Amino acid sequence: MARSDPITAPEAVHPSLWFASQLARSTTRCIDTGYAALSAQLPGGGWPTGNLVELLLQQNGIGEMRLLHPALAGLKRPIMLLQPPQVPQLLGLSALGVQPSQLVWVKGTGRSADGQWAAEQALRSGCCGAVLLWDKHVRGEALRRLHLAAQASDTLFCMLRPIQEARDASPAPLRLAVRGAAGGLQLEFIKRRGPQRDEPLFLPLLPSMLLRNAFVDRPAPGPASAGSILPALVG
Amino acid sequence: MVLEQDGVIALSGLAHDCGVRPGMRRGGVMMMAPQALLHERALLKEADAMNAVAMAMLQFTPLVTEGEEASLLLDIGASLRLFGGIRQLCRRVLDSLHALGFSAKLGVAPTARGAWLLAHGGGGGSLTIESMLRKLEVLPASLLPPVRPFLPWLTGIGCLTLGELFSLPRPGLKRRCGSAVLDMLDAARGDKPELFEWIEAPPSFSGKLELFGRIENADLLLAGACRLLQQLIGWLCARQFAVTGICLLLEHERGRQARPPTPVEVMLAEPAWRDEHMVRLLKERLGKVELIAPVIGMRLETLKVEAMAPLSDSLFPDPGGSKEDRQRLFEVLVARLGADKVLQPAPRADYRPEYANVWVPVQLKVRAADVKAQMPPRPLPRPVWILDKPIALLTRDHRPFYTSPLQIVTAAERIEGGWWNDVQTRDYFIAEGEDHAHYWLFKERLASEEDQRWYLHGLFG
Repeated sequence: MARSDPITAPEAVHPSLWFASQLARSTTRCIDTGYAALSAQLPGGGWPTGNLVELLLQQNGIGEMRLLHPALAGLKRPIMLLQPPQVPQLLGLSALGVQPSQLVWVKGTGRSADGQWAAEQALRSGCCGAVLLWDKHVRGEALRRLHLAAQASDTLFCMLRPIQEARDASPAPLRLAVRGAAGGLQLEFIKRRGPQRDEPLFLPLLPSMLLRNAFVDRPAPGPASAGSILPALVG
Repeated sequence: MVLEQDGVIALSGLAHDCGVRPGMRRGGVMMMAPQALLHERALLKEADAMNAVAMAMLQFTPLVTEGEEASLLLDIGASLRLFGGIRQLCRRVLDSLHALGFSAKLGVAPTARGAWLLAHGGGGGSLTIESMLRKLEVLPASLLPPVRPFLPWLTGIGCLTLGELFSLPRPGLKRRCGSAVLDMLDAARGDKPELFEWIEAPPSFSGKLELFGRIENADLLLAGACRLLQQLIGWLCARQFAVTGICLLLEHERGRQARPPTPVEVMLAEPAWRDEHMVRLLKERLGKVELIAPVIGMRLETLKVEAMAPLSDSLFPDPGGSKEDRQRLFEVLVARLGADKVLQPAPRADYRPEYANVWVPVQLKVRAADVKAQMPPRPLPRPVWILDKPIALLTRDHRPFYTSPLQIVTAAERIEGGWWNDVQTRDYFIAEGEDHAHYWLFKERLASEEDQRWYLHGLFG
């Protein structure tokens, strides 16, 4: 059935219009994720800055930093780690390409309100390249507040929450569930500006040292045989 | 209402509604409004308040002087461009007065006497002599202090406003009222120069505030502290100083035992002479202070002052905020969370992971080159997250177990070192759980046979 006024390209009318089968175009600047397969599935082709991005983790240490590290490595401004559940290890982070001098670690005080407050301050000041906030239980109004604060800046703002929180509604325009899989990670798109995608996306993401094993096949120093030592040294 | 020598000189609107009028005696007031609060006029306190306001006004111009009848004269001719025009400046002056807790009438005019008259006549502004004269002409003649003794005579000849006073013949006016009246009229019209003795800022700053009641609330304390900060800003601007440390002393009630005042110190990484940032820091600090007793007064002192370094704006500002913005953010975070909670890396070249991974408070100066020098030349297999204390793991079927059986996926990396303080001889492995998370495990190499157990030390994020 022919329509009288068919709109074939709604994005030509206004940038914030799109078909439900299309990926939205981002209105803010996006940072490339470093993984072509993932970037192709995200509106704007990368992690959106100035937005609340939620990563829902199966467990801490499942691979969240491996997922984020190409984006973090390209930043010039400080990277705030707010209330991570464990101590960040500099050698591990620098092995992922993150400059150690950019990092600022804010320890948890035991109250989740402090972490949210610190995130808001960091976002409002606008001088951070990325703000990563770990929080177990966040209430809806706190999320909205943080999302508003993020919109006022051009900072990459990620909240890392347990996967059980995926059931609760959230104002974040991008929510990804991160699960471990053999040889990489499985990402589920819980919410994105674009078509619903039910099958998870597999990213081959092993810890880099598993791929290289450089330290194992380093040649061992040969044992000194009896005659090879100069008599002058022995005497 | 306020009494002076048993007569009412100032009163609230509520008292006015009760029928109290200026000039009434104490007895009359008690009859009209028995519940009214009566205060004696305290000239000393008025002088203190005047001083406080003058000090705060020094932030707008160095030329401040006291006028007659509770007024301050500010020469703002040189400040207009800095503060973005006369409207901006007036707004900031009023804001500053409001922060100090005073209400004021503002008169703006090209001559000091004209501005004084406009302010006493109810406020208003004019930027040219002509418009000022138009506004002055309708004001009552009784505003000028030297005219007041001759008021009955002037009323008798029908001369009520300044405009009519201006048009009286000068020789006659001089003969009858003396030269003081003529001098003031000339000064108001700008025909005669005026000389002032400008107020000079004292060489050291110490602001004091007595609170009206016993205060136990941090928000109310902050309001008081803001008033002191306004004075401090004025003083800093006048002396061209910047401050790197301030101390707010909270004075407690002198009860049975004297209590020393509680100090609240705020240290700044960068010298500052503007109040918004200091107010933010003080707010966070006051929120954390535990009061041992109600506060009845406060004193503000400067700990460290240095010469003000003017801002140098770059032609193309950094998109991500300047270094100062960053410092300011860290200061705010430290003020609330504590210096031991906001950390930056200061790695040390050491094989043992616990010793290599050092974080220091963000306010210490750590050079990026030093950080780089302490990092290994090429990346080592280290996890992103490390546990404070290694967790001893259970062993099931000869395999380490942490929520699921772990599969060792790499050969051992042997880390031995620290014969000088804390010997470690460990073999580190990377293991994968059934949930496909990667763990960093170690085994003590030199432990006895029954101590040979697995420890979890990190997570590959």
